[in-house]
Amino acid sequence: MTATVASERIKAPLIPPSTHRYADVIHRLEAGGSMLPDTPENLKQIIGIYKAYAVPMDFYWRDLLYIAERVFLNPLPAFKYFISQEYLDRPNSYAGDQSQLRIWRGGEKAHPELLEFMERGEAGRMPKLLHHLWHDRVNMEFAEACMQAMLWHQGMGGRFNDYLESDAYKANADRAIKAYFKGNPLMLGLYALFPDMFLEQVRQLSTTANLGLFWEVMAPVFFEMSDIYDEGGFKGVPDAMDFLVNGIFAVAGRPIYHHVYIGDECYEIIPKSEGFNWLYEAALPYVEAVFYRTAPFRGTKSYNAQAGQVPADQADFHYGILYADVFPVGSAGIPPTLLMQDMLHFLPPYLKEIYREHKRGEEDELVQLGITFQRSMYNVTSAVIQALRCALLYPLDDTNPEHLMANRRFFEAQMDRFLRPEARLADIQSQDYR
Amino acid sequence: MASILKTAASVGVFNTLLAAVDAAGLREALEGPGPFTVFAPVDDAFAALPPGTVQTLVDNPPQLARILKYHVLSGAHSREQLVAADNWDSLEGAPIPIRSKDPFEVKNATVVTADVVCDNGVVHVIDRVILPG
Repeated sequence: MTATVASERIKAPLIPPSTHRYADVIHRLEAGGSMLPDTPENLKQIIGIYKAYAVPMDFYWRDLLYIAERVFLNPLPAFKYFISQEYLDRPNSYAGDQSQLRIWRGGEKAHPELLEFMERGEAGRMPKLLHHLWHDRVNMEFAEACMQAMLWHQGMGGRFNDYLESDAYKANADRAIKAYFKGNPLMLGLYALFPDMFLEQVRQLSTTANLGLFWEVMAPVFFEMSDIYDEGGFKGVPDAMDFLVNGIFAVAGRPIYHHVYIGDECYEIIPKSEGFNWLYEAALPYVEAVFYRTAPFRGTKSYNAQAGQVPADQADFHYGILYADVFPVGSAGIPPTLLMQDMLHFLPPYLKEIYREHKRGEEDELVQLGITFQRSMYNVTSAVIQALRCALLYPLDDTNPEHLMANRRFFEAQMDRFLRPEARLADIQSQDYR
Repeated sequence: MASILKTAASVGVFNTLLAAVDAAGLREALEGPGPFTVFAPVDDAFAALPPGTVQTLVDNPPQLARILKYHVLSGAHSREQLVAADNWDSLEGAPIPIRSKDPFEVKNATVVTADVVCDNGVVHVIDRVILPG
């Protein structure tokens, strides 16, 4: 009898169940799971969309760095999406044999599917300018919208935005601005009259570099996940989440910086020596700004700010993918739709098959794809939540009830963000939400 | 008595920490008069981090230095002094919370040996690498 009681005690949970509205999800997180239920179809959907996302992302990061480092303050940047061959060939710092950290197997060059799409687009082979004007290309406008969300929200942890306001940053930017417009009295005159306007542009370009360096890492991570799945790896959604958690730690210390190349000279607007890290200055602000907050999209819905329909506090903004109603969002020209359009070009066959079998088949592929993306980003957000728990709190198998309660409070606080009616956490619990 | 770094080297369980201090270029500062309070993670604490974490940091000294500075306080503070406050400002700038007095817990790490007094400060041995945030 004693032995039975003892074994029951060991088996009994060390803390009482959560009474939170999302208690089931919290208990799943406490067991090492994801906010996304562990089903074979969820795994297939999220891996498929990671692959479809990684291909345009391979263009986004290259062009963002091209804009931040080379186009810089060009007053008429009509060709900023015409990435130079140097940046298209730029070796990824976290893929390929030249990489210092060789934990993902992909190559360092631009992905072949991306190169093929840049060549042919949807309309077929024609000059690059015509592809651009016909909008038959990768939608860089999406990447810039993400950058603007990061620039606009600020105050999301890390020290990046504080540095953008510092005297050291202003001095570095001033040197670069004067060098860039050397011999151009008109622009130098405008700079003398409106210095803050130029400085704000440089801040935007520093945020552009920040996002480019962030995505440079994520592209090989997503390609690797797709390869592992194709090889029969990943037993379930938690495996895929753990892979992301390990990836977050592996590159947490990657430097975030902004270098500008003017002629043969490099101007360090944000030097690596400032110690800015991928995790604190890029990844966490990105997740907060893009997954949670962003801003209402123009043309999709009217909001009455005086009636309180738009939160007074930016921290309460909730227009990111975790809250999006994908159906009306799927209108032309708005950022998430631009991304969906980009991903549509690179869907793996097994994902296309799922879409053909459900709802209106190919006719509403963009909406189904958007909801798959939503599921996949709930999984990425789960990885971020678990990584933060791991970094700042306690192991899931800790035997100290106080530690487990600290983890519980953290998970419950994270789930509180999904209590508002717009959140899609409840929807993604069902496979019928498509 | 010896300095903080010499004391750590003599114990043999801080090899990763000492290598990281060298990689980050912090040896000279930590050999200085200080005084400092160092929360020193043992080798097992670094080994528990996911693969690649330490390598990326070692490859990038300023980023590594920032994480290491989060383990250091200005001034020599004993356990008794530390538990009297809820938070202490690290050299990195972010606060280090004292979460429990008994057992002595600093952020999410447990202090396995407290109050190792050295020439230029005090060392408290911890079982996990602590991170700002």
